[in-house]
Amino acid sequence: MKPDAAIVGVGASAFGRFLPDSQLSLAATALKAALDDCGLRRDDIDGLSIHMGSPLGVDYDRVASAFGLNIRYVNQSWLHGRFVTNALQHAALAVSAGLADVVACVTAISFTREREILGGPGDVEGNREEGGTHGESPPYGLTAPAGGAALAMQRYLAETGADRDKLAAVPMSIRDHAVLNPDSIMRQKLTLQAYQDARTIVDPLRLFDCCLVNDGAVVALITRMNRARDLKQKPVRIAGMQGIRTGREEFIFAPPGLGIGQQPVSPVRSRPVDVEVYGSACIDRSAVRGVYTYDAFSPLVLFMLERFGFCGAGEAIDFVQDGRIGPGGELPVNTSGGLLSEAHIGGWNHIREMVRQLRGTAGPRQIPGADVLQWATVWGDSVIMTAA
Amino acid sequence: MSTTDQKPRPRIGPDSAPFWDGCRRHELRLPFCADCGKPHLPPGPVCPHCFSARLEWRNASGRGRISTWVIVHKPWFPAFAAEIPYNVVQVELDEGPRLTANVVGTNELSVGQRVEVVFDEIDAELTMPRFRLAP
Repeated sequence: MKPDAAIVGVGASAFGRFLPDSQLSLAATALKAALDDCGLRRDDIDGLSIHMGSPLGVDYDRVASAFGLNIRYVNQSWLHGRFVTNALQHAALAVSAGLADVVACVTAISFTREREILGGPGDVEGNREEGGTHGESPPYGLTAPAGGAALAMQRYLAETGADRDKLAAVPMSIRDHAVLNPDSIMRQKLTLQAYQDARTIVDPLRLFDCCLVNDGAVVALITRMNRARDLKQKPVRIAGMQGIRTGREEFIFAPPGLGIGQQPVSPVRSRPVDVEVYGSACIDRSAVRGVYTYDAFSPLVLFMLERFGFCGAGEAIDFVQDGRIGPGGELPVNTSGGLLSEAHIGGWNHIREMVRQLRGTAGPRQIPGADVLQWATVWGDSVIMTAA
Repeated sequence: MSTTDQKPRPRIGPDSAPFWDGCRRHELRLPFCADCGKPHLPPGPVCPHCFSARLEWRNASGRGRISTWVIVHKPWFPAFAAEIPYNVVQVELDEGPRLTANVVGTNELSVGQRVEVVFDEIDAELTMPRFRLAP
């Protein structure tokens, strides 16, 4: 089944640290904005795809009851980068299959009130019986997702022999995008000196290699193409999709073959299974005008570029130099400023930016001729969106 | 769940208990598949290579190489604060599977360095494997 789905409306709350609003209040603001954006009414929503829930947020039923929705299709993940695509894909498949007519993808985050869950003694994920998915090992002092990204980057540096400071190009380029976005939390240009002077979190990662911890909400509304054409905005079509890749070849924060966790070591970073999305969307990779990725930690941008074949194995650290992924670059990445510099709305701030870019309303950040954009993550899932 | 003034303890379940029982006797043991012969980590209920449920715990050499490593600077755990900066490594055992642990005695590490297991007796119930640089 080809997906028959478009993003028709997007809305957001303010993004910031220590916002006074409840998670539900942030979500309500974003939902109202998304409805206003496209002209749909609250009663048109009959599906929910929730990217929040336990342990970091409220569940789908509380969202539905708080907003007075009548829902006949639900998908819920918990707030985790790997489930952005999951939430979007479930929404697209649900409307395609007629399980719902309009699905609201709702993500609201109050990280600044819940931050003790993210690492240390309260590390819910790392302390589970089978441990965390990022290589956490609390008995040995390794906690929080940053640890997993650091494990992968250290080995990448050893394999490539690259100068560690070249990694700075990722947060610096993404900050250059953020400076152009009035919604960004971080709006001051990041210099190499400031990057080097910042404290080390878990070597080889420094402070600005790590994403923001903040509050905010984004809602995206999904419906079928025939309905999308009748609404206020130019539809953004879900043109192709591929799901999360997992198994013994995978470590969530490493490209295939790097040898983290129990991954086999291989020189191949991009396999046919990693790039099915282009065939699904009937496009060539060279048609992609900009890439959006879950940049929780700057190495994840490198690993995504290699997995999807934008460059060869071990080449991403050079590929990202000289502004290639920054504003006006050959392959702009995360043009709203990403998790590193705009805000951490679980990746949905990226989805909102993709919609603005494909509508041609991204202002000073507009990618010229942006007609095909790709969401893609280091763990292998992807969605290609096109201007309908 | 640990309290904040104590280091977290491993969650020992039915599948991993033989590993920790071995550590108490200063033996590094791995689950080997009785059908395909391959060992695996972390301990699971079946062989992840061939899906056989016939597992046999055997002693491993206790030797391997650092496959990757990090140095933790952020004081996430109050109980580890006095040790900052400290290392966490993944060691590829000579048998193949990788184990997460610490290297004792140094933070001067590199990928590929040879290491060997040492056993750290925490208390009567728990002994944790760590590694030292091989001579």
